[in-house]
Amino acid sequence: MIRQVIQVENRLGLHARAAAKLVRLACRFASSVHVSREGANQRIDAKSILGVLMLSAAQGTRLVLLIEGEDEAEAGQAIRRLFEERFGEEN
Amino acid sequence: MPQKPERVFQGTGVSAGVVLGTALKLESHKQLVLKVHTLGHMAEEEVQRFLRAVDLSKTQLEVLKRRLEDKVGREHSYILDAHILMLEDHGLLSEIISSMRTAHVSAEWAVCRATDRLRQACESLNDEYFRERGRDIENIVERLLMNLSGEAHESWAPLPEDLILVGRDFDPSNFALVELEKVRGLALESGSRTAHTAIIARSLRLPAVFEVRDFLSSVTTGDTVLVDGDEGQVTVNPEPNRLAEARQRLEAFQAVLRQSSPLPRSPAVTLDGVVISIQANTELLHEVRAAKSCGAEGIGLFRSEFLFFAHPRGFPSMADQLETYEMLGAEMHPYPVTIRTLDVGGDKIPAGFDLPKQPNPSMGLRGIRLSLKNRDLFATQIEAILRASLRGGMEIALPMISSVEEIWQAKEVIQQVRERLLRASVPLTAEVPVGAMIEVPSAVVILELLSREVDFLCVGTNDLVQYTLAVDRVNPEVSHLFQPLHPSILHSLRRIAEVSRALGKSVRICGEIAANPFFTVLLVGLGYSRFSMNAYAIPAIREFIASISFSSARELAEKAMFLRTAGEVRDFLTETLPKLVKIDLTPYLKEIRSPDDRTSLSYVS
Repeated sequence: MIRQVIQVENRLGLHARAAAKLVRLACRFASSVHVSREGANQRIDAKSILGVLMLSAAQGTRLVLLIEGEDEAEAGQAIRRLFEERFGEEN
Repeated sequence: MPQKPERVFQGTGVSAGVVLGTALKLESHKQLVLKVHTLGHMAEEEVQRFLRAVDLSKTQLEVLKRRLEDKVGREHSYILDAHILMLEDHGLLSEIISSMRTAHVSAEWAVCRATDRLRQACESLNDEYFRERGRDIENIVERLLMNLSGEAHESWAPLPEDLILVGRDFDPSNFALVELEKVRGLALESGSRTAHTAIIARSLRLPAVFEVRDFLSSVTTGDTVLVDGDEGQVTVNPEPNRLAEARQRLEAFQAVLRQSSPLPRSPAVTLDGVVISIQANTELLHEVRAAKSCGAEGIGLFRSEFLFFAHPRGFPSMADQLETYEMLGAEMHPYPVTIRTLDVGGDKIPAGFDLPKQPNPSMGLRGIRLSLKNRDLFATQIEAILRASLRGGMEIALPMISSVEEIWQAKEVIQQVRERLLRASVPLTAEVPVGAMIEVPSAVVILELLSREVDFLCVGTNDLVQYTLAVDRVNPEVSHLFQPLHPSILHSLRRIAEVSRALGKSVRICGEIAANPFFTVLLVGLGYSRFSMNAYAIPAIREFIASISFSSARELAEKAMFLRTAGEVRDFLTETLPKLVKIDLTPYLKEIRSPDDRTSLSYVS
């Protein structure tokens, strides 16, 4: 299982488009992907858009990712890249 | 699931009675959320139906998304991407499917329940952007429901029998879509006593409370709701002790509903022998039964727009209308039936019209104006009325007349239709009387001119009050200024009575106010002898009329004419009328009280 902490860097946060991208990406992997706000107990499924939206993660929010499964390493890398690229938003 | 806490809300009671039932939350203007409950062994079929609707919705969204991408570019289609993902959200889907399988509820019900919770979760978020996502969910729900209803025709069949409709507002047209046998009451955040919906609720004897502020977020579909139309109170998830307290009144109201006492048809006569004719205002077909059983001397006002609302995707054909009008004529024979031609606009527009959004609909294209602009539609309605006149006495009332030209133009259409039918050898009666609705101040001012052009006059008091006082009766900010006892209204009514008497024109009052003794006495005193009202009000008003004398009513009306404010008129009436009659007037007091003296005015009979 991989555990990694990621900060939401893009200006708009995990809004609808970013959330959609995250969910689409997570769904490509066999591993389970869960997210929680750092310090919070509630974990949501990153393959559920409603869950991701309910995180209401604005810019600067720190998130904990828990990835588990055969392709967890790959998944972890891809998701980290998506956050680092600020979901393709220009700013 | 833990028992939800009891919540009590205060609103305005607009239709009397107490009732207990199951909440059905209406989510939007466009899509009425239908149906609920138990299909037992059919759960799997229901799941498949749901999955087909999900697939269909996704396909529609994909198409929309591509179109949007072509038109405005990829950057803007992402929101539809989010919508598509919501339809793939396995957390949501499995919650919906499992409630269908375990609780045996219908797909629509399961969708509403699951998404209701989600929306509430959204509303509780701190960040405004994410809070707003509740609307995206609403969007998806609407699409799912639309696609579900496309497949199911008997959508109301699985509903429980004791629905309380709750929502922000309830468009009168929705009465055409609901299965009324299953509706027990109404609780709305907006609306007012005189709104069309309130009028219908009263005529259906559905207890209703309107203007219940900020209560929708505390009620979900499936909650138990106690509606107290007498006290204007709504209780969500009432505690057992509250229910025990209400039991007696609940049972009493049920008993009232059960007892239908058909009355012998005899005209209402005052103590000094003045005969008053009372007809019924109707719009739902089953009200015709009520009209007959309550002893109405004909239909004084058939609000024909209801026929149009009943056709959610178009307009009723000539044959559809003819069937209805003939039925009305035959049922009410030998009494006449007055068909008010299509009166839409304002707060009521049938789905078949593609009207541009009007900034001020009450003063826009409505009533006769709309008919004269859509002459084919108008001619179709006229043809149906003329043909129906062979089967029973028909009369045509033209709504919202404000000038002589409008009457000329409408009569020209009527004449053209008549000539066309005669050329085609369709048998017709010699004359169908044509009347004008008097409900706009200009019509009152030029009444002498208008009267000469028509066979009769019909005073639409609700609109007359609204337009004379420039008060939108559905706007809660000003609805307290909607004062039928305002001196301007009384003076208008006196003028109408005098002019029609001088010119020998028949005139009748076709508004709800005639059904309140405090107004009835004034109207009788002013010389009106024909009323048309909600059928259920007729027995009590007939009794009231039999208990007063015309001479005392006239004296009272004459005195009222000297008063300066609606408040003075009200105080005068509440002071004098109870001394005049032995009837208990308490139930009617509420209607003439203004909202600010709800508590101060006490009256002991």
